[in-house]
Amino acid sequence: MDLGLSRPTVEEPVPPPEPERHDQRRVPPGEWVRDNLFNSVLNGILTVVFGVIVVYALFRALRFVFVSARWEVVEANLTNLMVGLYPRSALPRVWLALGILAVAAGLGAGAASRRRRTSASRLDALKRSAPALVGLLVILSFTRTPLPALLTAAVLAVAGLSWLGGSRLPERFSRRLPLVYVAAVFAAYLAMTAAGGPGIDRWGGFLLTTSVAVGGIVLSFPLGVLLGLGRRSSFPAVRTFCVGYIEIIRGVPLITLLFIGSVTIGLFLPPGFNRPELVTRGLVVIILFTGAYLAETVRGGLQSVPVGQTEAAKAIGLSPLKTTFLIVLPQALRNVIPTLVGQFISLFKDTSLLAIIGLIELLGIAQAILFQGDFRGQGLQGETLAFAAFLYWVSCYSMSRAAQRLERRLGVGER
Amino acid sequence: MTETRLDADATRVGGTGEAMIVCEGVDKFFGDFQALKGINLQVGTQEVVVVIGPSGSGKSTLIRCINRLEKHDRGRIVVDGVEMSDDVRNISEIRREVGMVFQQFNLFPHMTVLENVTLGPRQVRHWNKRKALELGMQMLERVQIPEQASKYPGQLSGGQQQRVAIARALAMQPKVMLFDEPTSALDPEMIKEVLDAMQELAESGMTMIVVTHEMGFARSVANRVVFMSDGQIVEVGTPEHFFTDPREDRTKLFLSQIL
Repeated sequence: MDLGLSRPTVEEPVPPPEPERHDQRRVPPGEWVRDNLFNSVLNGILTVVFGVIVVYALFRALRFVFVSARWEVVEANLTNLMVGLYPRSALPRVWLALGILAVAAGLGAGAASRRRRTSASRLDALKRSAPALVGLLVILSFTRTPLPALLTAAVLAVAGLSWLGGSRLPERFSRRLPLVYVAAVFAAYLAMTAAGGPGIDRWGGFLLTTSVAVGGIVLSFPLGVLLGLGRRSSFPAVRTFCVGYIEIIRGVPLITLLFIGSVTIGLFLPPGFNRPELVTRGLVVIILFTGAYLAETVRGGLQSVPVGQTEAAKAIGLSPLKTTFLIVLPQALRNVIPTLVGQFISLFKDTSLLAIIGLIELLGIAQAILFQGDFRGQGLQGETLAFAAFLYWVSCYSMSRAAQRLERRLGVGER
Repeated sequence: MTETRLDADATRVGGTGEAMIVCEGVDKFFGDFQALKGINLQVGTQEVVVVIGPSGSGKSTLIRCINRLEKHDRGRIVVDGVEMSDDVRNISEIRREVGMVFQQFNLFPHMTVLENVTLGPRQVRHWNKRKALELGMQMLERVQIPEQASKYPGQLSGGQQQRVAIARALAMQPKVMLFDEPTSALDPEMIKEVLDAMQELAESGMTMIVVTHEMGFARSVANRVVFMSDGQIVEVGTPEHFFTDPREDRTKLFLSQIL
């Protein structure tokens, strides 16, 4: 069984989108099948064999989803799966936070849409958000009251209005969008916790998974950049520290570090010093762990920038610090976007390991709900795990698509 | 100032007569290989010096020592009265006064042409945006590509890129310009536009050191031509002397090979 203990260090680079090709010659389907699937005896046999396997697997999968699966376990526990043991009385805070994030996302998308407002780009935007929309529809299909659907519609409406607003904002504003995103995440966190709201230790389910993932990505990135830069520093002490850190962290499995963080860290803290919450400890371990991997990616990116760039920057008198942050780093990071996103996707999935140290995130809750009286011992893991897997997939695929778009946009003026 | 007596020919200064750049006994090693052997050279204010010589003769290394892209191991280098030392402030002071154009252009590909040109004034001279943009456009007009301002370097031809590189160096308003084989990476049909820009610059009174294989440029624009071989300055002279009546055998051999 793969617990995700080993992780890929390098993700395959995402190929650029194929330009649309118009075949000069329309091949009739019958001919295409003959040419490609049955052009020799061996190919014919392989086609038949694999065709049977594929059809059978598809049949079983569809039968499970639409006929045999007892989705009432997901239906009854939808709120548990989404927010875990989060106090139900505080749920309006979650919707408020979603609304805040919708404003930021809408503004951003609106401002970006102004640059290229073509029907092609609109279709593109629709394609891009398709997995997220499908995910949303699937989640909503499990609701028993109309309220969640109405609230979701309200959040989407807020996003739409912000989109309109964003497309009318002056150019100066779009340069400050990253600030808006950070402010929105911060405001959403406040909306969840301020004035007596439940702290992050009481969050759970998909809410906890995405929160830890977002926190991990946002905080591990600067750590990785600093470590990557430090590894190439001209100060031996800095370099040695960074190399040591990276090699030690990379040499230990994440699950081991999580156990160290969850169990043993208390033994090292001075007496009277309160142990941070388990969630915080888990998040810190994930950040420290991912930072080490990102550092190696960043270093690869730094090495890919030609030395002439540094020389040109020196020649116009830029300081080493400005040379790094204005000239080298932007090019280095752009060159490694595919790998960086691969690692962020890894991080997202690695949050499921938090279930092993006892946090009730998405995977944890998917297991835990099977111990309730109504559903105990009925073999319903398939349903809950399929639902959890679907949410993981929707999230990771959306990230991957967003990264492809980012790559295309930053590719402007590439040599 | 420098009163040391040096080898006569190499130190006779052209231009206005005041020395802008002084190199005295400059040695440079790459490991065991000695790239520069006791270089003595003075370049006068508003003088144009063209450095020629076979590849590996130390031409590029010499001008890269003048703005500290390479650190010289012995001797003195003085630029506009400031002696090059290990002091960071000292180095950045010299780099502000010395512009450089590279063989491979080395434009910043993630910035537009105008951003490339205004980066130095904004980040090093700390000018405000409007002033920097104004100057940037002036410099682009000077090299005759203002219409490319909002494009990215990757969208330009080699000749256009090299002219942007010249504009980028000029935007720092340097007192000296160094050119390291500026036309060697260009397609033949683009060489002229870059040489024209350089000639215009020379006529405007800029102090220049140009490493090049363009003998036509050396003949028509240079005040003095320096011939280097094996890390040494073999011969220095005016273009007329140099191309019609070279003294040294090595110079004659080199000229016979390329002309």
